[in-house]
Amino acid sequence: MSNTSRWLGIIGWGVLGFFALVALLAPWIAPHDPKALDEPMLPPSLTHPLGTNDIGQDVLSELVYGARFSLLVGALAAGFSTVVGVILGVLAGYYDRFGFALMRIVDVFLAVPRFPLIVFLAAFLKPGFWTLVFFFMFFGWTKTARLIRSQVLTERHHGFVEAAVAVGADDVRILARHLLPGTASIGLVRFIVEFQHVILAESGLSFLGLGDPTVKSWGSMLRYAFEYPTIFISDVWVRWAAPPGVCITLVVLGLTFVGFALETWANPRLERRAG
Amino acid sequence: MSHSGTKVVQYMITVVVLLTLNFFLPRMMPGDPLAYLMGDPGADSPMLLTEEMRANLLEYYGLDKPLVGQYWDYVSGLARGDLGWSIYFNAPVGSVILGRLKWTLVVGGTAAVVYIALGIVLGAFSAWHRGGSADVGLMIGIFSLGSWPPFFLGMVLIVFFSGRWGLLPIGGAQSAEAARLGGIVQVRSILRHGFLPVLTLVLTHLPGMYLITRNAMLSVLGEDYVRTARAKGVLESIVLLRHALPNAILPVVTTVGMRVGFMLMGTMFVEVVFAYPGMGTLIYEAGTARDYPLLQGAFLVTMVFVLVLNLAADVVYGWLDPRVRRLRAGD
Repeated sequence: MSNTSRWLGIIGWGVLGFFALVALLAPWIAPHDPKALDEPMLPPSLTHPLGTNDIGQDVLSELVYGARFSLLVGALAAGFSTVVGVILGVLAGYYDRFGFALMRIVDVFLAVPRFPLIVFLAAFLKPGFWTLVFFFMFFGWTKTARLIRSQVLTERHHGFVEAAVAVGADDVRILARHLLPGTASIGLVRFIVEFQHVILAESGLSFLGLGDPTVKSWGSMLRYAFEYPTIFISDVWVRWAAPPGVCITLVVLGLTFVGFALETWANPRLERRAG
Repeated sequence: MSHSGTKVVQYMITVVVLLTLNFFLPRMMPGDPLAYLMGDPGADSPMLLTEEMRANLLEYYGLDKPLVGQYWDYVSGLARGDLGWSIYFNAPVGSVILGRLKWTLVVGGTAAVVYIALGIVLGAFSAWHRGGSADVGLMIGIFSLGSWPPFFLGMVLIVFFSGRWGLLPIGGAQSAEAARLGGIVQVRSILRHGFLPVLTLVLTHLPGMYLITRNAMLSVLGEDYVRTARAKGVLESIVLLRHALPNAILPVVTTVGMRVGFMLMGTMFVEVVFAYPGMGTLIYEAGTARDYPLLQGAFLVTMVFVLVLNLAADVVYGWLDPRVRRLRAGD
């Protein structure tokens, strides 16, 4: 593994670990209850390190709890999608008729652009936390399933599978113990990419006001900051809009670096090829 | 059935699925069907309806017919180009959408051309100088910029370019004056207003294009025919441009096709942040105002548009890849 990939991986994991820790320890780290009201638009001080927002809530506490929400939605949605995608993909790769039918369904899903549909659904159905997770999961499994299926289609003709069949292993054993482990590398990469998409989409939805209005998320912080009249010409944006935006960016970047390091680790040929 | 034939059928099935979804969604919404047509009740228009008025309205909108009848009305309306009436704008949904669509195409289209071209150039360059400081620097730089959520990036650009330095306008597609005056003044205004949105979109989507091209080029550069070309003594630049790049383009085309939906998401955010009067802001406004007919129409147009682009990408790929062309010729 090259030096660059290793460094990127370290930085990536470091950033993610930091935010995960913040999210976990939110109730202990946040100086205030994010919904508690103080005076609005207070400048940074010792009690409010980032000041207060337009209705008087502590910005730092919002930020800390926002980590919780954004990371949780991302991890859960990406996790579910990946697991479902891998399982369906393996089954689709092994059982031909099921695979064919599933791929036609996947085709339809993939042709439908996710985000306008989610916006549409959100406008009508006003989602809460679990509905959001469900939305993202509902659309996220398709690409993973397709990729895993391709891999299983190739692998099932490999020696080790044929050997297992010859020895008399039943289907479940072949699927679970021989084919499934090979999906780990694709699965990991897909998990990371899905995580990124969900974070971006969730903060985007919250930014548009289509997310859960009762919850503090980085996207909704940006939304209220954006709607504040003088946000672009005063310096308020530094302490109110920049922190959540930078946090989202850092998490996405961290995921990118980790993904990059993982890909190089799983696929050393990628580095050596190119003559 | 030929390859393109199956694809078209697939797309048609998707369109039907979308139409049906579009039809059923408002009807699945909790509450009064009339609320859907009149906007959210209790929000802006406290309308008190007597039983007789209700019955008349239901009949007028065809809501008392069985579901199949309503579906037929809906589809035949679409065939005639009737997308309904927008409550918020008090105008036919179709004309509202047409007015907005062009701005999305202006900004989204321009940005797409730029980031696709730039992504390919930079990706190929990076692949060529693989591992060198140029490559690593470019990669880290591009990714650092592209990880920004588009709405945040837009806000930051506005703060600096409009707020601090007063160079560019905060929002809108053109100033009202310029629209009135027309001509070169209008063109200049449109360019000034469009610059930041396009810049934001380019920065958001560049990493994707760049990475795909870079990876594609890297795999291609490891292929045997490239090795052969080099062994024959072909100039490195020719190897890159005439042997490697055309083959690397193929996965790029597929990816562009797959990412159209994602690109649309970015466009939507950027439009909202810059108050740019395109389809994105339209969907946003319709959603906020609970103008369901408009939302439905806008959603439908957006989806169809994306499908058309997907189909186009598939067709272009088939046309570009000589292997597929030969396959089709044999049908």
